[in-house]
Amino acid sequence: MRRTLSLLGVAGLIAAATAVAVSRAEPPAAPAAAPPAVSPPGSTESGDPVPRLLQSPDDVARGKALFTGTCAAYCHRPSQPEPAGAAADAPFLFGCDWRRGGSNAQLFSTISHGVPGTRMVPFGGAIPDEDIWRIVAYLKAASQCKPQASAGKVAALPARG
Amino acid sequence: MVYFRGRVLGLAAVMALALGAPPSRAAEPAPGVADAEVKLPASPTAWYAAKPVGAAVGPVTAAQLAKGADKTHWLTYGGDYRNLRHSPVAGLTPATVKRLHVAWSAPTGTTGQFEGSPVVYGGVMYVTTSYNRLLALDARTGEILWRYDVKLPDDLRLCCGPANRGVAIGGDLVVMATLDARLMAFDRKTGKLAWNVALADYKEGYSGTAAPLIVGKLVYTGIAGGEFGALGFIDAYDLETGKRVWRQKTVPGAGEPGVETWAGESWKSGGSPTWTTGAYDRETNTLFWTVGNPSPDWNGDKRAGDNLYSDSVLALDPLTGKLKWHFQFTPHDVWDYDGNTQLFLVDTVLDGKPAKVIAQPDRNGYFYLLDRVTGRFLRATQYVEQLTWAKGIDAKGRPIVDPAAMPQDNPSARVCPSNLGGMNGSWTGAYDPATGLVYAPSIEACQQYAKGIAVYVKGIPFMGGAPNTVDANAGKAYGLVSAIDVRTGKVKWRYRDPRPMMAGVVSTAGGVLFTSNQEGQALALDQATGKRLWSFRMGGGGRGQPIVYELDGKPYVAIPSGGWAGLDSFAGAASNLPEGGQLFVFSLD
Repeated sequence: MRRTLSLLGVAGLIAAATAVAVSRAEPPAAPAAAPPAVSPPGSTESGDPVPRLLQSPDDVARGKALFTGTCAAYCHRPSQPEPAGAAADAPFLFGCDWRRGGSNAQLFSTISHGVPGTRMVPFGGAIPDEDIWRIVAYLKAASQCKPQASAGKVAALPARG
Repeated sequence: MVYFRGRVLGLAAVMALALGAPPSRAAEPAPGVADAEVKLPASPTAWYAAKPVGAAVGPVTAAQLAKGADKTHWLTYGGDYRNLRHSPVAGLTPATVKRLHVAWSAPTGTTGQFEGSPVVYGGVMYVTTSYNRLLALDARTGEILWRYDVKLPDDLRLCCGPANRGVAIGGDLVVMATLDARLMAFDRKTGKLAWNVALADYKEGYSGTAAPLIVGKLVYTGIAGGEFGALGFIDAYDLETGKRVWRQKTVPGAGEPGVETWAGESWKSGGSPTWTTGAYDRETNTLFWTVGNPSPDWNGDKRAGDNLYSDSVLALDPLTGKLKWHFQFTPHDVWDYDGNTQLFLVDTVLDGKPAKVIAQPDRNGYFYLLDRVTGRFLRATQYVEQLTWAKGIDAKGRPIVDPAAMPQDNPSARVCPSNLGGMNGSWTGAYDPATGLVYAPSIEACQQYAKGIAVYVKGIPFMGGAPNTVDANAGKAYGLVSAIDVRTGKVKWRYRDPRPMMAGVVSTAGGVLFTSNQEGQALALDQATGKRLWSFRMGGGGRGQPIVYELDGKPYVAIPSGGWAGLDSFAGAASNLPEGGQLFVFSLD
């Protein structure tokens, strides 16, 4: 569970990492390793891969189940289509329009370190790195980003009310 | 004027960052800028009253608290110990209410849902905002008398927003729970801090959002944390010193009765929080407190059993915390149907006989009646329009669950009510003894319940699933205020609104009910018929608890305005209303 930590959220992360994991609904993944340095074939972004072994259909399915069980409720809405009125502080994550950077490494970093001052707590050390990579793989697989993602969105005012 | 550069601004900067800027830049000041900036003094976080306020009246007495809301005072979150939220003010009637106008208004300066119920004593209004600002205002004019901003850490563990629902008042103290799981007491006349104690470690997922309850020399509070697996409790503290007198856990530990209702060691992360305000029955000297969902919310696979005392009401000895009896509304909950909605302690007539009951419109869509002396189940009737998770309630009060409504990996069933209810513990209902009706605002928005993997680590969300908000997405969510006859369980009338009704209500002796809606309107409804009598566009989504009081013969209605899209839109509220709290106080000339 040891990782190099950013100063951001370090206190919370230490608290989380030192807390006793009392129960797990699933068997834990293997101990975390450093992200692989080799870009797998077919990666859409050079230099920041999802580890090759963590993009299988089973990995993506586990990433989805982890996302559903930990990230979706009250915070990030489930996948497509984008629901109306998503939380302002917990963005919709399937629009290929990630606020804190959309590369795989950036997504991994945001999940690991959290966003201070928001409800996004650091998950690094709490969720094993492999599982965070699986969540990243699921976000990318479910998002089906096209090469030129739109930069912004315009919400229509509701007709009623 | 003081240049305010405390953590609120810091937080705003972080939020702005989260909305668009890349992360790495925000944490570091731009080169050269910080050095060149003039060093300003630290911002104040408290503004005390220069002269004692509310000094014309003495300390709040036990007798006053036992009496509850009279015309000039609103002393507790629930209006009185029975939680009726009914005001004896009679001057607001279907004939006069159309003349209501804004008497004064006050900003909170914070975003996040403005859920507080003001308290009024001695002509002073005590109101809390999101992020734990406590304001003392002149109840006639709105002039600010003192203010205390709690300094909060920036790594709070909040499932559902930075809400606070108000203070308790007793003696010369007002007491507030905080988002970092503390209990703080202030001198009502000056705003000076009297004591400040930790309820629990917020980094384990705990937070305080509810108004405490003061009975005699003790102040009672619960705790939130059920989305983090943090174990719930009810605490009693000495009002004068802040010293803890007792703690009653809501999840039994190893070897204790009830632990067998949790498979394996699942009780260790069983949640079951106590995040709303209880009630007190003077006749039987019983403290009632309700308990929320077992953790993880939507995946019950590892916690087979009834999961006591989640989703229950507990009857406690107020001096020791000892459990007298319990009743569980939703055994083995896998929908997030916290049993935390408002309890009404009502004396009524059932089958021709006088009955002392607890009435509760539960989050699971049923309206329960319990014998409040014995805890015996008396009756449950459906009060929402759509209810599919159960096929009914059996003679012992146990739901007959529809297996098709259980959360699934890829759910397709549309299940009602939504995980937020029905009614929800974050807003109040009211009971008018004259009509015998409970007025319950609720959400009508069905969902699909998805099951996922839950990994328990202290301080990390532990929910095990998520609702797909299908009705909200499709624009099919709507809201109701239902008037439920306690004697029969039947709904006498319903007021229907285009969006979920997620704000509290207050009823009055004048026959007018006040609330607010997700269109940003203050509303007055006829208590006899539900007809809409008056509205005023406050602007912010309604999430607060209104109160009514009278000073110098003039009636006032205070209604908070300001929602929080993060949670409200989950139920189908509009997402286009800007956030920001504002208290509106209306009056008649």
